[in-house]
Amino acid sequence: MQTDTQRERFTIPIGPQHPALKEPGHFRFSVDGEIVTGATVRLGYAHRGLEKLAEKQNWVQNIYLFERVCGICSHTHATAYCLGVERLAGVIAPPRAQAIRTLVCELERIHSHLLWLGVSAHEAGFDTLFMYSWRDRETVMDLLEALTGNRVNYSVNVLGGVKVDVTEEIAQAIYKGLDFLEERTHHYLQVVSSDASFLQRARGVGVMTRQQAEVMGVVGPTARASGVTRDIRIEAPYAAYADFPPQVIVDERGDLEARFVVRLKELLESYRLVREILARLPEGELTVRMPRRIKSGETVSRVEAPRGELFYFLKSNGTDTPVRVHARTPTICNMTSVVRLAVGHQLADVPLILAGIDPCFSCNDR
Amino acid sequence: MKFGSMLKDISQALVQQPATEQYPSVRRPVPERLRGRLVWNPATCTGCGLCATDCPAKAIELLVLDKKAKRFVMTYHIDRCTFCAQCVQSCRQGCLNMAANHWELAAFDRDDFLLRWQSAPESG
Repeated sequence: MQTDTQRERFTIPIGPQHPALKEPGHFRFSVDGEIVTGATVRLGYAHRGLEKLAEKQNWVQNIYLFERVCGICSHTHATAYCLGVERLAGVIAPPRAQAIRTLVCELERIHSHLLWLGVSAHEAGFDTLFMYSWRDRETVMDLLEALTGNRVNYSVNVLGGVKVDVTEEIAQAIYKGLDFLEERTHHYLQVVSSDASFLQRARGVGVMTRQQAEVMGVVGPTARASGVTRDIRIEAPYAAYADFPPQVIVDERGDLEARFVVRLKELLESYRLVREILARLPEGELTVRMPRRIKSGETVSRVEAPRGELFYFLKSNGTDTPVRVHARTPTICNMTSVVRLAVGHQLADVPLILAGIDPCFSCNDR
Repeated sequence: MKFGSMLKDISQALVQQPATEQYPSVRRPVPERLRGRLVWNPATCTGCGLCATDCPAKAIELLVLDKKAKRFVMTYHIDRCTFCAQCVQSCRQGCLNMAANHWELAAFDRDDFLLRWQSAPESG
């Protein structure tokens, strides 16, 4: 028996179908024992050719196409697209419509962060938190259904405004739902920062320094958990964010626990923002008239999706169909951090590090 | 640091009712604005066809037999519809609506997903 052999190094392929995630992505981890020494990622399995399809449809049809880029941040995609088209056409939606867009954006952020909390808790082996956060998420899903008529693809936006109005009855239902969610969020915040077994999985794991975050171009709550003060809602306010500015939630620690804390505190900030919008909702029309043919030109549109900065490029040649629509989603910016941060950690920590950026492969692949 | 910070939630769950709903034996009330299947009122339709032009899923086909006599055939493919209600928004005459009470749309036969309505002209 040989005792002094060089330890063998293995490469472990994971995916496209893999146990950690419900979406397809291929990862290769080279490991030395249990420790990851290198990682690569291959994306594109959920490519549906939406950007090309957009060139065959008119401007109105494309709202619903881009709403279906993502099943979680559907409204954010449609808002980015509509704001871009309105800018090209030189039309500004009425203040009430902008405020309702912002309201739905924030309700969507609440539902997205609660969903993420459940998924990440599940990856950490904390299924009780997963079940409870998803039960509570139904509250905001029901509110969105009552407000817009659908649980997932709200279809609130039209070019030049919104379809739905906020009635007093719905506003009262939202206030009541938020009171319940706020109480639960305080509880979850206390759970993720005190539960001993959870902290063993999250505290000090996947640490990304502020400098690393800036070099890798990480966006959204993942960047803010590393102390990067970057939020499109404040840097370049869109819709009604200039009138209802949010407070940036930053944490300097940069580990997985910080990512939980930042997203949960962002939930509390969203509750405040929704209440403020409902209390000071501007009066007026919901839509303005939009031309069917959009003036030729090109523009960019940036919004803050629940996962980070979402970027749209639109180009028109003066007809009723776009020449080019391009979307760059936050997941592609954050994915580099997973490959970098996984190195040096145990293989068992990798699913949680990946879930920590809140990846969305269908957004990323389009 | 403490262990089992959700023990209170877990113990309370022993006496709580299940959070899941007992569908289909119990149906919860439908929100007023729920977007169910399309309803067409031919009385005010002018046959402009904007609903079909703007439909992102090509779920609507409007056949104009005689625009003056208001003879139209509206074909609606439920299986293609994405329930976005753009047709309702595009219709200037307000003759389209998405019915909140028609939301249980599953069927065994594909033909059940095809609805064809014909306008009834006043004369002939």
